[in-house]
Amino acid sequence: MSRQDKARVLDLVADPPGSAGYLRAAATALAGAMTGDPEALTADWDRWALAAFRHQFGGCPPLRAWWTARGVTPSTVERWQDVPPVPAEAFKYFDFRSPHDLEPEAVFVTSGTTKGSGRRGRHAVLSLDLYLASMNAPMRQALDPEGVRPDVVSLVPSATARPDSSLSVMVTEGARVLGREVYEWVDADGGWVDEEIARFDAATRDRPVLVLATALSLVHLLERPGLGRVLPPGSTVMETGGFKGVDTEVSREALYEGVAEAFAVDPDRIVNEYGMTELLSQLWEPVLTEGPTVRGCHRPAPWLRVRALDPVSLNELPEGASGLLAFYDLANFGSVSHVVTQDVGAVVDGRVRLEGRLLGSEPRGCSRALDELMSTRGAARG
Amino acid sequence: MQPVGERVIDDALPESILAEARRLEKAAERLRERPVDSVVRALGSVGERFLDQSDPLRVEALRRLPSDADVSPAMASVILDGMAGDWTRERLDRALRADFPDPGVLDRFCDVAGRRVHAVGPELTVQIVAGGVPGVGVNALLRALLVKSPTLLRPGRGDEVLAELFLRGLSEEAGWLVEAATAMRWRSEATGCTEAALRHARAITVYGSDATVSEIRSAAPVVARLIEYHHRISLVVIGREALESEVVRGVADEVARSVSLFEQRGCVCPHLVLVESGGAIDPEGFGAELASASARCAETWPALPSATSDVGALQQLRGVTEMQAAASGGRVWHGGASASWTVVYESEPREGPPTTARGVRVRPWSGLDALVRSIGPLGPHLQTVGLTGMGDRRAETALELARLGATRIVEPRDMGFPPPWWLHDGRRPLDELVRWAELE
Repeated sequence: MSRQDKARVLDLVADPPGSAGYLRAAATALAGAMTGDPEALTADWDRWALAAFRHQFGGCPPLRAWWTARGVTPSTVERWQDVPPVPAEAFKYFDFRSPHDLEPEAVFVTSGTTKGSGRRGRHAVLSLDLYLASMNAPMRQALDPEGVRPDVVSLVPSATARPDSSLSVMVTEGARVLGREVYEWVDADGGWVDEEIARFDAATRDRPVLVLATALSLVHLLERPGLGRVLPPGSTVMETGGFKGVDTEVSREALYEGVAEAFAVDPDRIVNEYGMTELLSQLWEPVLTEGPTVRGCHRPAPWLRVRALDPVSLNELPEGASGLLAFYDLANFGSVSHVVTQDVGAVVDGRVRLEGRLLGSEPRGCSRALDELMSTRGAARG
Repeated sequence: MQPVGERVIDDALPESILAEARRLEKAAERLRERPVDSVVRALGSVGERFLDQSDPLRVEALRRLPSDADVSPAMASVILDGMAGDWTRERLDRALRADFPDPGVLDRFCDVAGRRVHAVGPELTVQIVAGGVPGVGVNALLRALLVKSPTLLRPGRGDEVLAELFLRGLSEEAGWLVEAATAMRWRSEATGCTEAALRHARAITVYGSDATVSEIRSAAPVVARLIEYHHRISLVVIGREALESEVVRGVADEVARSVSLFEQRGCVCPHLVLVESGGAIDPEGFGAELASASARCAETWPALPSATSDVGALQQLRGVTEMQAAASGGRVWHGGASASWTVVYESEPREGPPTTARGVRVRPWSGLDALVRSIGPLGPHLQTVGLTGMGDRRAETALELARLGATRIVEPRDMGFPPPWWLHDGRRPLDELVRWAELE
């Protein structure tokens, strides 16, 4: 079957877009391509993207109502770029399951804000297989391109402890797939598990170590004396989660310096991951394969398209111009693929240069918005 | 902020803050020797300069406010006129007399209602002010100096220029008074700086989010009086008398201006408009009127294109509320790419993203009991209510609103600039700064 033919599978499905059968067929085909032939998705991107739109239009009543109100239907859309992107904030108020009556296999919840739980976004996942397929290959390429199968130290609560956290699921699954031996240094509440640290120390170190962590957990690690270890050459640290929730005055540079010293790792082997609960695919800094010059630029998976939009008009900006980042994610086939965030960045040669969030860090004014009495904005990935 | 002598210091360090606090503390003694009417004259003479079209202070303020406060030149002018209009000798004297009918009590023991009492300003008042609303820092500074308390002010982001220029004016008009005031900026995360500022305080005023107020509360010395202005919400209640076709456009214009003033960053700016059902124009119709009025307001008071540091949140607000309207009913009007205003009509209350950047929700109400119930949950954060069109129900409604938590009930057109003698969050702002001494 040619690459184009893989997308044609969807034309042969008896069930209509929006149905469980259509999702099943799409998820199977997508997961297969993600695992075995990701370039097939690139080659036939438009067809896949429009299939996702048709499915979500057919299967998700809130999306259908909104798109219809905007005059956007499967018969009017010719380009995936013309599908109105859903605000990421909408995950706090809507259930985007497509089809809407299918029981989710997981529900990922955003972590809320640093100062109060606030209202949390919820992302119902209808096909965990599709999620895991979308996750593994890019993660392996970003963190273990040499295929050494490192030992893994996780500083993120496990998926067992936090099944509603997409980050926990990603780290637990990633550790299982990439690693040989896995050491979970933190418990469900983020506290240190001394037994696991002792087990790590007792083991013979004959291969590199991969540390999977959030920025916050690394800050906490550096604050507690005696947790650093001299890791074997070629060891790697994954840092994610940004600096939201880090109340201390540490900069990213200072954190990386501290981490490199604490673990005796090459600073150029610290890899940042950019992800969010609303998107099932991730973006990675390809520093291990392309070197430190790509620091700050994140590579999306082949099934994820990123555009920078003018913050006022939401029109697509030219290459290199900064704007609100919008994502079209085929891994979101069972929910909503086109999502616009409040994150700011530019797209250069298919890579994303992140520039942070548009919202100011210091609250402005003495006015309290009505809905902040009931909910708080700015949720991070849980 | 640009330095004015040593009175305005940006990006301060804990040591310099502590040194300044100690120096200000020593200025208290000299300030207390000055009669309060001389303080009023000095402050008023500076404040009035901001109303003089040709005065360099006003010219510089209008030149720098747009970039400093992220507002358009037209909005900067409106804000400056509104704020400085209350910084005159006459208005400051009236504010003083509202809290102290005989202001002489600030100079000496006086007979008040058969008691000999003296009001003593704190040796040092430290003031942490929220950002975004130009002039709030000067108001705080004026309050402390009016009760003859030296003050260390940390103006909020976007409120530095007026504090800086006021202190410059004070140094030109009354050098003896400016030695009792300093403005310093430090990053809010720099807890060492905040601790240094608070160490010698005898009174602390803090404006800001509930989290900020909680942080200052836990850091405040036990001997310091803490005056808290946490975030507040204001709203408008419209009765059917204001929905007659001949008046509704004017009412909508007043509401739109109250929403738009300060780019809606002020605690006095409404985020919710409750419209009575059964009037000549129904609540959804008022939403449409308010949308038109918001468009007109955006022409006279445009927002800066760059004002839109909230633009990402604005896109989220518009997108989510449009989705909610499509799914569950309601309407959303907005200014598109050319203007930031957004009006959301909801026939039933529902949760959604926070309104921001001239964003307002319109909801119907019917019957006073239901109105009271709908506002009830907002009580602890309620501040100003713009109340109009209630006819002979106005007094009864005001009573209910006051009991819910509202501390200021005015016509919508008057929401934006409360007078300097207002009961700020339900308290007398000058009186609560002082400590009373009684001579028996």
